[in-house]
Amino acid sequence: MLPVERVIGEEGLAATSGGLKLAMRLPWYRSLPFSVVEVGSLEIDGKAVDLSDARIEYDGAQWPLSENGEKVDTFWFIRDSAFLILPAQTADVGSDHEVSLNLFVSPPYIPGMKRTNPQMSTLTVAA
Amino acid sequence: MATTSTGPQVGVTLYSFTNEWLTRQFEVDTLLAEVAKRGLGPNIEIIGFQQFKEFPDVSDAYAEKFKEMIAETGLNPVSCAINSDRFLKPGQQPIDDAALVEYHKRQLRSAKKMGFSLVRYQFALPVHLLPEIAPYAEELDIRMGVEVHAPMWAGHPAVQAYGEMYDKLNTPYLGWIPDFGGTASRIPESMLDAARAKGASEDLLDKLKEVWLEDGMSHEKAGRLREWGMAHGHAPLHIQAACLAFFILSNHDPKSWAALVDRTIHIHGKFYGVSEDLVEEAIDYDTILPLFKDGGFTGTMVSEWEGHAYDMRDAFEQVRRHQAMARRIWGA
Repeated sequence: MLPVERVIGEEGLAATSGGLKLAMRLPWYRSLPFSVVEVGSLEIDGKAVDLSDARIEYDGAQWPLSENGEKVDTFWFIRDSAFLILPAQTADVGSDHEVSLNLFVSPPYIPGMKRTNPQMSTLTVAA
Repeated sequence: MATTSTGPQVGVTLYSFTNEWLTRQFEVDTLLAEVAKRGLGPNIEIIGFQQFKEFPDVSDAYAEKFKEMIAETGLNPVSCAINSDRFLKPGQQPIDDAALVEYHKRQLRSAKKMGFSLVRYQFALPVHLLPEIAPYAEELDIRMGVEVHAPMWAGHPAVQAYGEMYDKLNTPYLGWIPDFGGTASRIPESMLDAARAKGASEDLLDKLKEVWLEDGMSHEKAGRLREWGMAHGHAPLHIQAACLAFFILSNHDPKSWAALVDRTIHIHGKFYGVSEDLVEEAIDYDTILPLFKDGGFTGTMVSEWEGHAYDMRDAFEQVRRHQAMARRIWGA
């Protein structure tokens, strides 16, 4: 990744009534359609998180992560965080967790290019 | 504001401030104000998909708001960079021609509505679609320049195919936007230093310099260095840091731009580091810039600092030096 790029968003990790909510930033220099971004892997405290029921929340809308590849006309603005909703995950507010997230990005004007963008961070769960 | 010019003009692309933008240090209005305050305009370029949340379909309301920001700052929105996004589903077929043409039209309409006088587009647009798009650009009265970006240069087959189509269509609405990264004379020392800071060793960097000068596409050369590096025990992270050079810079004759001057409508003054005595570390501006002045170019070269891809120097200071260098060479 470039010096200022990050995949874990500034808003971090929060416990909500719908499960855990993790902020993500797009590791690129411009907005891209969600269809070219893939959540490669997510680990919390060293354990792989099952993403089969995960959802994406962005700009007031939500959709299943599994439908992300179809979102060719929904653009992730480079300045915004998008959120990964994990319905089956819980954590106590105020507790610390080691989060490892890897986003894959395939820039839509460079055929065959797929960048991996791993980042690990210790996050305190917000309410 | 725009003046009737008799020679090349300087300006800046907000892409130079990518680090400041991504870390949320500025909003669109405060970034424009900063550029104006520092006297780095008035001519500017903006990447539609970097600064405008509504891109590719900018609303009338946002366009008005943008025009007000422009009026307040006295800047001149010369170029809007648009994207030829053809591969919207990774690993699958590209989108069909009709959808790609429409994608360009949406961006052209947005750029026009916001007051830009030209757009930057990309070679990912297949050349056979130019006859469909050119009349639309004429109708909207907005020029389109395809960016000749590394590893491309004037002698690249794709550039030649476009040139033949340009001759056939013969319209002032289509042209070139040279990006000088295609004719770098060496890998910037600051980029090598960034790789060193990540732990890359000198023998890996020596091999990088050697492979960088060889023929081949960027990904082939990156593959060659990766293979050599792995065989010689270098860490993947160090190899990855070194490989950046293949994707943003290539080594072709700086004088080769002469072939494109006539249809050049705008320039990306790509650079990595300009010293206090006004010399760029990798690109030979003293050879390149006179070609455009002598060839009668009267458009804008926007300073495009790409050092942000590997370090955190002060982008505003770098742009100031780059513009001062251009004025020194052009005698403006």
